Amino acid sequence: MNLTESFMSALQSVRANKMRSFLTMLGIIIGISSVITIVAIGQGGKQAIVGEFDDLGTNVININVKSTENNIEDRDYFTLEDADLVKEKISEVTTVVPASGSMCYLKTEKDSKFAEIDGVTQDFNKLMKVDMLAGRFLNEGDIMSSRNVVVIDEITAKKLFNSPEKAIGETVKAAVNGDNTNLTVIGVSESSSGSMAAMFGDNYPGVGYFPITISERVLPDAKITFFSIMLENMDNSKEVATKIVYLLEQAHRNKGKYAAEEGFKELDMLNNVLNILTAVIGAIAGISLIVGGIGVMNIMLVSVTERTREIGIRKALGAKNKDIMLQFLTESLILCLIGGIIGMTTGILLGLVVGKAINIPLSVSPGVILIAFGFSSAVGIFFGLYPANKAAKLDPIEALRYE
Amino acid sequence: MIIRVENLRKVYDTGAIQVEALKDINLAIEKNEYVAVMGASGSGKSTLMNIFGCLDRLTEGKYILDDVDVSTLNTNELAIIRNKKIGFVFQAFNLLPRLSALGNVELPMVYAGMQKGDRQKKAKAALEKVGLGDRMHHKPNELSGGQKQRVAIARALVNDPAIILADEPTGNLDTKSSEEIMNIFEGLNNEGVTIVMVTHEQDIALHTKRAVIFRDGEIISDKQVENRIVRGGITA
Repeated sequence: MNLTESFMSALQSVRANKMRSFLTMLGIIIGISSVITIVAIGQGGKQAIVGEFDDLGTNVININVKSTENNIEDRDYFTLEDADLVKEKISEVTTVVPASGSMCYLKTEKDSKFAEIDGVTQDFNKLMKVDMLAGRFLNEGDIMSSRNVVVIDEITAKKLFNSPEKAIGETVKAAVNGDNTNLTVIGVSESSSGSMAAMFGDNYPGVGYFPITISERVLPDAKITFFSIMLENMDNSKEVATKIVYLLEQAHRNKGKYAAEEGFKELDMLNNVLNILTAVIGAIAGISLIVGGIGVMNIMLVSVTERTREIGIRKALGAKNKDIMLQFLTESLILCLIGGIIGMTTGILLGLVVGKAINIPLSVSPGVILIAFGFSSAVGIFFGLYPANKAAKLDPIEALRYE
Repeated sequence: MIIRVENLRKVYDTGAIQVEALKDINLAIEKNEYVAVMGASGSGKSTLMNIFGCLDRLTEGKYILDDVDVSTLNTNELAIIRNKKIGFVFQAFNLLPRLSALGNVELPMVYAGMQKGDRQKKAKAALEKVGLGDRMHHKPNELSGGQKQRVAIARALVNDPAIILADEPTGNLDTKSSEEIMNIFEGLNNEGVTIVMVTHEQDIALHTKRAVIFRDGEIISDKQVENRIVRGGITA
């Protein structure tokens, strides 16, 4: 008897006892659907959180001049040449963004807004996701020609000009320690921490980006204290960071004045925690799958007893032990697979509903679907094995005599 | 020679007591014979049929079926022998209730590994042969007792077995159906099919050519049937 044949015959006997088959499947349905729901919501939640972090840029390490060291001299600060050097010498580095920053007041004639302003290059938005609401981000021309331009964020634009669109082309004064520089607004970016800003209201500082090449004009103490460096990947970020620090130390002939930090250790940790949490809850849900499997085994045992005579007849007609084994194994496999499919559909639907309710996008990876299939087949085979073996071992004479 | 048993013993060991169901049986059945195996219940005739049918193993002795020494075969090989060389007809019909007549007749060919197309063709031919060409797609519960037994005969025939073993084939049937079934067996035997039939009814045995009578695990009589009934008439 070949596989297709026993599959069809098994399907037939599952259909012959519709109610019983359904009740048996119910255990599997509940097991699979709860695992799917939990894993889908867990992964969706993880993606949502990782997505928030995504705005801060991935594959980024930061090198800064240690502000806690008090013997920092002028020659210790980074230069634009350092940025080129790092990019040139370290092959893993894709982008280097030098930055100098300060807190200041951005002023118009009527109003002012406290903000952090950073001198950066056009590559900055490769590292950090800067979504433009109006106008454009700094480009190479702005940097090369040292133009007096600035990109401000949404909350600053709203405070000073009422709306992002109205801000474009206007002039703001950057007031740092009493020195005022006029900058033309060329773009407005979305505030990266919108919800925080909403919470703190007006007191939440705005953000401005200007070409690093005009730092001398804007900031009284224009030092490059910070490199944001993008790597191809984070596989050996530690070694790369050490290499960069060493390179910079060589260039400046100093030691111990630079520090490297990976912004995403925290993200990794958070990821791990979320993974463990999902796995634990998933495992608890998985227990119901085992309970479902026991239900399948129970009903298969009943079915073997009920069909003792059928087994005897089949054996008399030439069925080998393995044919009988295959027949009952296929039946329990089919019960579990159908249960698995229904469970998966239910799980995804449930996940959609729950995800919508708690505002987390659902994520159903093909892996999860494969695992669900794998698990329900494994349950079907594992819990079908004992009843199928029992059926196969029946003595044909005894079985034929069974009333 | 289809069946040859030599010094066959069958002992049921139930732990406390040993029951000798068959004592030193010697029997040979030639091709195209039509044999009735008779005896009271407990005489050993059913045990012999089970051994003939390769459903049970003998304790001692030798059993040669169609030139194969069956006594040495394992479970798997016995299943193949049952499939290829033996056709069973039971008192209780033993059809699978969920399958149609056609499906039931196909079953031995399923286990023989035959393709679906070939199977259906052969099954249809077998059903037509027993006069059920118009009821192929009926389930057993839609058929009368006689019709069920005819399906069972078609099923027994379909793999062209060396022998048909019928265990009280008319035991559950009324006289008219019994007559029909016996006529079918008669016809098959005339075509060259070897048949061994267990029965305790004298009139049924009268349809056969040779009667072997058992008592207490031994053959007490083995002779040609006189006054045979052939197709409704009595011949000398």
